[in-house]
Amino acid sequence: MRGLLAVLRTALADALARRGAFWAQIVMMVLNDLVLIAFWLIFFSRVDTVRGWDGQRVLVLFAVLATGAGLVLGLLSNCRRIPEAIVRGRLDETLTLPVRPLPHLLVSRVDTINLGDVVVGVSLFALVAHPTPSRVALFVIGTLLGAVVFASFLIIAGSLAFFVNRDEPAGLALHAVLLFSSYPVDIFTGPAKLLLYTVVPAAFVAAVPARLVEQPSAAGAGLILAVAAGFAVAAWAVFTLGLRRYSSGSVWTRAA
Amino acid sequence: MTARRLAVPLLTAGGRLLADRGAVIGDLGFYLIVTVVLSALWRAAAGPGGEIVGYSAGALTWYAATSEAAICAISIRLIAEVGDDISSGDVVTEMLRPLPVIAVRLSVQAGRSLVRLSILVVAGAGLCWITVGPPPSGTGALLALPSLVLAVAANLVLQHTVAAVAFWLRDTRAPWFVYQKLVFVLGGMLLPLQVLPDALQPVALALPFMTMAYAPARLASGSVEPWLLLVQLAWLVVLVPVVVATFRLGENRVQVVGG
Repeated sequence: MRGLLAVLRTALADALARRGAFWAQIVMMVLNDLVLIAFWLIFFSRVDTVRGWDGQRVLVLFAVLATGAGLVLGLLSNCRRIPEAIVRGRLDETLTLPVRPLPHLLVSRVDTINLGDVVVGVSLFALVAHPTPSRVALFVIGTLLGAVVFASFLIIAGSLAFFVNRDEPAGLALHAVLLFSSYPVDIFTGPAKLLLYTVVPAAFVAAVPARLVEQPSAAGAGLILAVAAGFAVAAWAVFTLGLRRYSSGSVWTRAA
Repeated sequence: MTARRLAVPLLTAGGRLLADRGAVIGDLGFYLIVTVVLSALWRAAAGPGGEIVGYSAGALTWYAATSEAAICAISIRLIAEVGDDISSGDVVTEMLRPLPVIAVRLSVQAGRSLVRLSILVVAGAGLCWITVGPPPSGTGALLALPSLVLAVAANLVLQHTVAAVAFWLRDTRAPWFVYQKLVFVLGGMLLPLQVLPDALQPVALALPFMTMAYAPARLASGSVEPWLLLVQLAWLVVLVPVVVATFRLGENRVQVVGG
């Protein structure tokens, strides 16, 4: 654990080394998120509610998603680069170290641009969600559990590259889970909604944690905790199984 | 003669994209996901039998599928990619060709985008037909086809103009972000322009971004307004000389710097 923290500290220091670029990227992402918030404000100026979701609830959902996804794509940014590392043989450098490969891989790169999402998410929650100690606690817990689901899903999707040796499916999975998480899950019906609670767990990344903040319940908290634990175990298992198929030095093989 | 020579990169780029099945499936998958999400939101907002600012649930579904097709037909990172080629100096080798850099680049991108657009239009129309039935107006849908081509053309031209700032600034990430957001909101990609606040609607209609998503989507959603095609053509007449002049100025600067 100490080793992992040291790697994360180094990755953060590397990201912060160019201060100008760091702040420019944060500002860019904040502006990006402000446009999406403006979209929701305009949308709800014409529509009162969408299947039970009003403007305030959707902004809480956005706050949860921005914070959780920002933490994952910012601090564990290699989550999205696992397929690239597999296909290009870049896991070699991790495998030569006396550490567990997956945790080391996850913390060894920080993307500062996504930390702008965290700034927006937390600020938005503070502004629109009427924070009280209990609501803040639920926001933190729900967001972290949603982040675990999100990261685990990216690891599972990325690890498919061990088996199919292509990185496109993981890219599509990232877009899918982010897009589906960005909207109230209840706009979908039937099989599409079922899909979002199972195969592409977008509902658990933002909608369910946001609902937990608005309507706290032990059952809701237990459900998201169980789902997060299940996805985390599955992610570990799929990556570990896939690693057995990894061809070290595949870059040289391909070059030949 | 020049047109025939420019047809070569256009056809070659289109053929290469078709041959890359992984990329085609990725583009198609992304488009379908975005369209499913956005159309589901608007349908849920309108409700069965209801409407929003004059658009029925069905019309909004056709609107979303068309606006997304117009935008997704172009590489999402185009501005950044062109900017990288300029700032890295790769563009210098292109200047050795007997054709203008911008003409060849636009031909290549047009080839790719038209192939992508054809695939997305077929998929989007199929999705809409299954979900909400045929387009609200056959005439509107037919007018949307040339409008989509003009939308992609205008978008490609303006994206290259924005990317050309790399000749001066080197980094195009900030302009790329801003441009994207302008197209998303003022271009009508995320929402029909009639949804915007009253004061913002005339501003959005007066900007070129409306030609890139709103115009074809408005036609496909059942509003038979042929003047939208004229507006798109007029903007192209304005934008093409601007991109040509911008690249010419930029290329002169590269030579001065020592490329």
